[in-house]
Amino acid sequence: MTANSELQRVNEWNGLRGFANLLRKENRAWWSTRRWWINALLWPGMLGGLVAVMLFMLPTVAEATGDPAVAAAGGPLPFGLQMARTIFFEMGSMALAIGAIVLSQDLILDEKHSGVTEWLLAKPVARRSYVLAKAVASVLAILVLLIALPALVVYLMYFARLGSPYPLLPFLGGVGIMIVHTLFYLSLTLMLSTIFNSRAPILGIALGAVMSGGLIGSIIQPLMYVMPWALGKFAALVADGQPIPAGLLWAPLTASILWGVVFAIVATAKFERMEF
Amino acid sequence: MSHTGDFVIETRGLSKSFGDVNALRGVDLNVPRHSIFGFLGPNGAGKTTLMKTLLGLSRPTSGSGTIFGHDIVTESVSIRERIGYLPQQPRFIEYMTARENLLFAAKFFFNGPQAKIRERCDEMLELVGLADKADRPTKGFSGGEKQRLGIALAQVNYPDLLVLDEPASALDPLGRQSVLEIMERLRKHTTIFYSTHILDDVQRVSDTVAILNRGQVVASGPIESILNGKDGVVYSISLKGAPGNLGERLSKLSWVTHTSVSQVNGTSVWQVSVSDEDTAEVDLLRQVLAEPAATVTEFSRKKYELEEVFMDIVKGDGNDS
Repeated sequence: MTANSELQRVNEWNGLRGFANLLRKENRAWWSTRRWWINALLWPGMLGGLVAVMLFMLPTVAEATGDPAVAAAGGPLPFGLQMARTIFFEMGSMALAIGAIVLSQDLILDEKHSGVTEWLLAKPVARRSYVLAKAVASVLAILVLLIALPALVVYLMYFARLGSPYPLLPFLGGVGIMIVHTLFYLSLTLMLSTIFNSRAPILGIALGAVMSGGLIGSIIQPLMYVMPWALGKFAALVADGQPIPAGLLWAPLTASILWGVVFAIVATAKFERMEF
Repeated sequence: MSHTGDFVIETRGLSKSFGDVNALRGVDLNVPRHSIFGFLGPNGAGKTTLMKTLLGLSRPTSGSGTIFGHDIVTESVSIRERIGYLPQQPRFIEYMTARENLLFAAKFFFNGPQAKIRERCDEMLELVGLADKADRPTKGFSGGEKQRLGIALAQVNYPDLLVLDEPASALDPLGRQSVLEIMERLRKHTTIFYSTHILDDVQRVSDTVAILNRGQVVASGPIESILNGKDGVVYSISLKGAPGNLGERLSKLSWVTHTSVSQVNGTSVWQVSVSDEDTAEVDLLRQVLAEPAATVTEFSRKKYELEEVFMDIVKGDGNDS
């Protein structure tokens, strides 16, 4: 029989005990199951498909039907680029937020209900390691599958349509804002799943925040400065290279990042106090 | 609370409330090192709550507890380093095979050498008789297989204490038999603290027992002393013929605390409770044989079944359901 002394004991700080092993497990749940390829096909396919329609088909159809928007944009090509930016950055931000919510709403809840969390926490595992491993693995997967891959596909389409590279920095600026927007909703959902015990309130609050944010913001306008609701529009403008007053962009951008940090802290604190 | 070193688990006045419900009420418990400690109680007695509180899955409302001298609230991670836990319904990572689940669990404790970790996992699969199913996803495992894999997972880190919550309750007789055999095999390596309501299992494998009822420990100690019942040592004597003044003579002996007689098929059956076991062993039969008109057909020390003792204690505690 293998002697206990032949094995090296894990030597980790107790405050983050088990993090590395839990992160490996979470990464495996994303990358060694069908989850990765479903998302790798879904998001680039859906967003890339819509952008392709805007770039390659819509301008021709709009020009043929004499749509005045084509002339207002400065011709079929600028019209197509403008529509593609709106679709990818503005509507895409909303779609990715919904995607992040749907993909993360059961990360903690499923394991909590099935008893897996109880089993894991009976190992030498710090509770914050459990929450952080889920958050880090989800951020990584969502950045790659939901944002980077579709952005690459869209950028290549721009290249194909223009016949030359689209200005990289504005495009990356727009993608950066999309990342902040998406991660805000991911952290919100993770926090909600440590507070509530069923899917309904988690999905209701998180999806409600995405769907009705614009409406609430138009009624209580100061909220637009501290919530991420205008970030999709700003992402499209930044990608277009249009100037945005610094305060108008940086306030919601900084606030969204801070909210994300607060949500992560609340999620960890709430999980620390949870009973199984 | 001071740690004596003789006990793996020590609790003092440990209480846990959920709103108005007092799940644990001042539990005092001492679990001796290297014992198989059976933790008995009817459903809802608080067995699982106590286990979860000891493991840091739930916080005590009041009282204190230590495991290996470490505080169960503030030093839980250090405690769990040395514990193996089998929940009532074992759960695993479903997309992993049995071997992968074991490797995953082992890596909370060990980081190398990888070959030795794999070897340890294979040994555990062998121990619980799942070597031939090691590479099957756990999703399709039967209840008995899950229970056995759960034990392997709990044992993978060479725990100094195994905490098993109802390890055999959901199993058929063969599955139960197999789990009890595994527990007996493990007793030389570790202390086993397990909860159950299957009294036969306790009588078969435990050396120490505690009975929990409505959140309180109502009896605890070595199984032999529990099996003596609360009346202490009792001898059963069957006599044919006239007993004469046997009852009067016995009642005058200082070490006899109580006698009772019943008639069964023309035989009088005497139950004699004694306070001094050693004297009774030497003297009691002699006293009975001194009665010339009576013939002794049976003389034995009364053995209680655990079920009898359990029912007596639990009902005596006001739980008549």
